[in-house]
Amino acid sequence: MSSSNLIKIIIALAIGIVLGLIYGWVVDPIEYVDVTPNILREDYRVDYVLMTAEAYQKDFDSETAARRLAILGSESPATITANALEYAIANNFTETEIQYLQTLLTAMQTYSP
Amino acid sequence: MTRNSTLHIIFALLIGLGLGIAYSWFLSPVTYVDANPSILRADFKDQYRIAIAASYQSTQDLARAQARLILLGDADPIGALSAQAQQMLAAGEPFEKVRPLAQLATDLQVGYVSNPNTPTPLPTSFSTPQVESTVEVTETIIPVTEEAQATSIPTLFFEQTPLIPTFSETITPRPTSTINPVISIPFTLVGQESFCEPSQPALMQLMFMDSRRNQVAGVEIIVTWNQGEDRFFTGFKPELGNGYADFVMQADTIYNIRVVTGGSSVSNVFAETCTEPNGFQYLGGILLTFQQP
Repeated sequence: MSSSNLIKIIIALAIGIVLGLIYGWVVDPIEYVDVTPNILREDYRVDYVLMTAEAYQKDFDSETAARRLAILGSESPATITANALEYAIANNFTETEIQYLQTLLTAMQTYSP
Repeated sequence: MTRNSTLHIIFALLIGLGLGIAYSWFLSPVTYVDANPSILRADFKDQYRIAIAASYQSTQDLARAQARLILLGDADPIGALSAQAQQMLAAGEPFEKVRPLAQLATDLQVGYVSNPNTPTPLPTSFSTPQVESTVEVTETIIPVTEEAQATSIPTLFFEQTPLIPTFSETITPRPTSTINPVISIPFTLVGQESFCEPSQPALMQLMFMDSRRNQVAGVEIIVTWNQGEDRFFTGFKPELGNGYADFVMQADTIYNIRVVTGGSSVSNVFAETCTEPNGFQYLGGILLTFQQP
């Protein structure tokens, strides 16, 4: 095999790899199902924390609230709530929503399992 | 270029294609971030629904609860809520934990808040944590008068779900659950009707309505007979009505029914025998209708 043919084969191989990567990453990437909540987009995560805060306004059950927040990852419930509160303040949530999150944050900061 | 070298090039291209796909699918697949709730695992979706229902119990914002449920991508959100409620009951979960799901399913079915919160009297002052921009919490006493009111408009903070501001609420610092005055009024048996339906043999159907003939969900019923007892609630089959519940009777058994909510009871209920024109016999059903005065 001549060197020019070898170069052509290497180029063909490289083109094939590039096409394969484009196909696998862009055209038909792996579709995820059954994911865990820790990879939810931030606004969905915050909305989930807000739901927990809204529910907390009715039952004032810190344990239930902490358990609900635990599905969002390994961070402490207080950290998760604090992050949500920062997002809420930065994104102009209503005063009521921010107050709910503040109340939940206070509860989570004082909650000990 | 010889035919042989052309084959080599095509072969190299195919090998490269295979290597690229293998790398992108197995070795380094697309890292998923910013997922949406519709691809959550089933048990997390259940948790999400519980959170939606619990939040709805507090805020009574039906439009927002509906928007949140849509995020889960269920083909039939009401059916999914009802199914989850029934599964939780079957798993021995207390009804108090299941009630928010059933209530939300019912309200979505009827399209309005059927069991509104009763506001509690405002105290003269309450503590509200104040948060700085650094999210450090301090306690501040804020005076509140009986007239203190604010209008809250839910905001849209994710683009996928338009949230419709539909209500204004009176802020109460600590809204507490109060007994619904509507549901505590005793139910009276206003109809007892036997029916013969081969597709529903021995089915005891119970229907509960308020004084305006609106069906009432969440009514607790206890059926007792000489060998046992069963306890169930209305509203878990919203497709048949929010005030509907049913129970399958046995032959030669007399049942007593007690409506826990309100305290009324019906005794000596049994399945009558029905006979088809061709002589086929089966147990008939009975429809009991209760209404508040």
